[in-house]
Amino acid sequence: MILRRSARWLDDRLGAASVARTSLSKVFPDHWSFMLGEIALYCFVTLVLTGVFLTFFFEPGTNDVVYHGAYAPLDGARVSAAYASSVRLSFDVRTGLLMRQVHHWAALVFLAAIVVHLCRIFFTGAFRRPRELNWLIGVSMLALSLFNGFSGYSLPDDLLSGVGLRIAYSITLSIPVVGSWLAFLVFGGEFPADQIIHRLFVVHILLVPGLLVGLLAAHIGILVRQKHSQFPGPGRTEHNVVGSKLWPTYATRSTALFCAILAVLLALGGFAQINPIWLYGPFEPSQVSSPAQPDWYIGWVEGALRMYPPWEFRVFGRLVPNPFVPAVLVPGVTFLALYLWPFLEQWLTRDRDAHQLLDRPRDHPVRCAAGAGTLAFYGLLLATASNDVVARLTRVPVASLTWAGRVILLVGPPVAAAATYVVVRALRDSGAEGVLQVSFGQLVAAVRATGRRRPGRGARGQGRRRRPATIAGGSEDR
Amino acid sequence: MTRPDADGRDAGVPAGRRPGAPEGEAGRPVRVRPPRPERRIAAAFGLTAAAAIGFAAVYWQGGQTQLEGVLLAVAFAGLAYGLGAWSARLMPQGPFVEEHEPFGSSRRQRAAFAAEFEEDVQAISRRRFLGRALVLAVGALGAALLFPLRSLGPRPGRALYQTPWRAGAQAVTADGRPVRAADLAVGSVLTVFPAGHVEAGDSAALLIRVDADVLRPAPERAGWSPQGLVAHSKLCTHAGCPVGLYEQGSNLLFCPCHQSVFDLLDRARPISGPAARPLPQLPIEITADGYVRARGDFEGPVGPGFWSRPP
Amino acid sequence: MWLVLAVVAGGGLLQLGMAGRTATASQPAQAGGRGQLLYQQSCASCHGQRGEGTERGPSLIGVGAASADFYLSTGRMPLTKEESNPDRAKPAFGRSDIDALVAYVASLDGGPAIPAVDPAAGRLAEGEQLYQENCAACHSATGTGGALTSGQAAPSLARSTPVQVAEAVRVGPGAMPKFPPQALNDPQLDSVAAYVGHLQDGGDRGGYGLGRIGPVTEGLVAWVVGLGLLILIARRLGQDAP
Repeated sequence: MILRRSARWLDDRLGAASVARTSLSKVFPDHWSFMLGEIALYCFVTLVLTGVFLTFFFEPGTNDVVYHGAYAPLDGARVSAAYASSVRLSFDVRTGLLMRQVHHWAALVFLAAIVVHLCRIFFTGAFRRPRELNWLIGVSMLALSLFNGFSGYSLPDDLLSGVGLRIAYSITLSIPVVGSWLAFLVFGGEFPADQIIHRLFVVHILLVPGLLVGLLAAHIGILVRQKHSQFPGPGRTEHNVVGSKLWPTYATRSTALFCAILAVLLALGGFAQINPIWLYGPFEPSQVSSPAQPDWYIGWVEGALRMYPPWEFRVFGRLVPNPFVPAVLVPGVTFLALYLWPFLEQWLTRDRDAHQLLDRPRDHPVRCAAGAGTLAFYGLLLATASNDVVARLTRVPVASLTWAGRVILLVGPPVAAAATYVVVRALRDSGAEGVLQVSFGQLVAAVRATGRRRPGRGARGQGRRRRPATIAGGSEDR
Repeated sequence: MTRPDADGRDAGVPAGRRPGAPEGEAGRPVRVRPPRPERRIAAAFGLTAAAAIGFAAVYWQGGQTQLEGVLLAVAFAGLAYGLGAWSARLMPQGPFVEEHEPFGSSRRQRAAFAAEFEEDVQAISRRRFLGRALVLAVGALGAALLFPLRSLGPRPGRALYQTPWRAGAQAVTADGRPVRAADLAVGSVLTVFPAGHVEAGDSAALLIRVDADVLRPAPERAGWSPQGLVAHSKLCTHAGCPVGLYEQGSNLLFCPCHQSVFDLLDRARPISGPAARPLPQLPIEITADGYVRARGDFEGPVGPGFWSRPP
Repeated sequence: MWLVLAVVAGGGLLQLGMAGRTATASQPAQAGGRGQLLYQQSCASCHGQRGEGTERGPSLIGVGAASADFYLSTGRMPLTKEESNPDRAKPAFGRSDIDALVAYVASLDGGPAIPAVDPAAGRLAEGEQLYQENCAACHSATGTGGALTSGQAAPSLARSTPVQVAEAVRVGPGAMPKFPPQALNDPQLDSVAAYVGHLQDGGDRGGYGLGRIGPVTEGLVAWVVGLGLLILIARRLGQDAP
């Protein structure tokens, strides 16, 4: 009764009935892999909720204060206000440690979900026309989230993240021509610049979340406008969406997923210790702890820094320091490639049609191979970032692990790409149900088929020829 | 956003049975599910309520991280199960179909838009001179507004080329205590700073006593390392991390960040890892009453490389 | 007959008792005695008949009770296989035998005595600061140890007793540097030992420590447990076949 009256009250003022009706009956396809983006979204919501709690207690200052609180080994220690407030949050604020840990676990899972979501989009070709714009927005959100994660764990000014900031400073310094100016302006002077914690705080709680919310709104708005893509199947065409209605089924299911995410993150936050800053101690520029790694989503840059050989060179007599290639060029090229991929694939396959139906990954052996090789490369970079941990556990010398890592980084991705191509091609050509049902003979046949000369460019588009196009997407008149 | 399709139906209407679809929802495998989901859903919600009350009680008693975490997790898990089962069992399953028109607008609409827009934009597009003046104005203003970014920090100047170490600077520990040569036995290491500059980020130096017999300094560095005491910058020349690991016996310095290894007996030259330049050495002397003092600043800029670093 | 047996047994018991008392009294033993016997059996083949060293083991002359006690009580010596930087292991000798050996080694021209350390007298806050300055780089801020070059590692401190901590600091065993009293005085050593004790039993406040290795294990758990569980849940909620 109350609901009906409130609805009528709103409609009298907004005239929303028809919009509400069409919105609530929107159809979303049911495949589980379409929920990966939602996992990321709800992790973001969790981050914002726990983050607000943390913001009420955290002080982003590098001025020295004396910590007095429940944690005895730091009681009476002169530390920065940022560090002291983080320790206080952990031990002197009720549910503070839970909130801190949930926040950090949520950040790790958030980025993992984004990456898996990106992979789903990539391997099913969902970035193809007309969804290139959403791909670009998504990649931008990935970059922003990476940066927010880094800035977030650097805020408590502890020894581990402080060393990470030192590395970030050195990476900025390594940029040719403008590096030292950039470092001094961004950080506010020579390291350890007093301003950086405060600046990261502003970026972390205001600028990047604001941008992310805006981009998210655009991302979801475009998704609603274009309708969600779907796998081929009975009753599904290039011109419809088959699935559940938004209200009540899909909304309830999505809310259930949100609650499940909260449950998992809260369980992790309660039981699994993460980022024990009280053990690391406050940051001092002359001190360091070992092992020293960043959070996993920065690990690929760390691995690149460790694996890249000790090469420095001079240009016009000026120095291009060692960290420039692994920590500026590699990430730069990475994101450039990510941004360009839909257009690159369009150019390579000559496929400019709009697609509502997704590819099964097996329909595109080349794309799968490219994706597998890329995943192998970044996965290996991430793995090599833990070479000192592996060295301690296995007693293999670190230098040997580094050399092995360099070789594997050069050899592994091409091998992964080639193997993936053969397997996917065999899967496609044999019509088998799944990878495990592909026989060895079919694999051999796939290798032979690859070696054979391809009948012209059309084969690259998997046999798809240019359709006599309706004029660049415009439809016939109604 | 949605229009009636050819049959005049609105979007979101159940499609009905698909021809050839197996029993159960179209194309979906039939899951064996327990009957009467309402009881389980209600039980799940009951669990949620109980866990929520438990959490409130734990909080009121003073809080405990693991209990708080598990109780809230159980509460949300109950909600997740209840809502998931409700949506899967007790809500309309469909499958529903929503048709949609092609992504681009129709030719007629595009033409109409183009015509109207071009007519309205004539007032701007015909005025070329004014248009260029506007571009110049906005461009100049935009460039000018970038200038306040300069306020963010000081100019680099000579800051990267020098540290607070000077000739005659007394070496002190982190708590300001002056260091005597006798404080170190062979195989000892201390982190030292110039007196009065313990806070500076680039002043940390490693002071190590090695066996004087194995130390063979280059001729131009004779006298930099009296009685086997050597001092090098602690900041790694790769990415600036403190090179905190000194291996006695092999006399190696190991940086934990990216595993660069420096040979202390050979000017702290990098022998492994990504560092490309040795750790700059600090020339030191021992005063008459046994204190350790610097003879000058480090032999070169400390820490990671930068564009204008001299060779 | 019974009387003879009783005398012999009594004499034997007396011998044992006296030997035990001599060992725990930790007085410098005579050149003879149990310590020397154990040394000849277990150590002389590498360290020489009189501790002068061979090509297989360094000289023990002047290393002192601290060094011997450290290596023996942490089970690093006697070596089970040839390596230059052995790991902690189960000690091969009981306490009284270790004391005897230590006394014998100490008799080889002196050397640093076993430091007297009292963690209760130490201050945790000072210990935390000193540990972070001097120890964290190799042994990790969390006390789990860390990799060194050439396959060596700074060991975990999870099972180090306060005496072993003090001995290691003063002796500088293996690749570890040495901290003489001028660099780290005795009250400071008390504080460091107290802090190491705290790391052993007081450090993990946030739940299970995941090995205290840091972001490497945290990332693994986030992917495998966090995202893994969530993907399973999403599969349950959604459909399977495309």
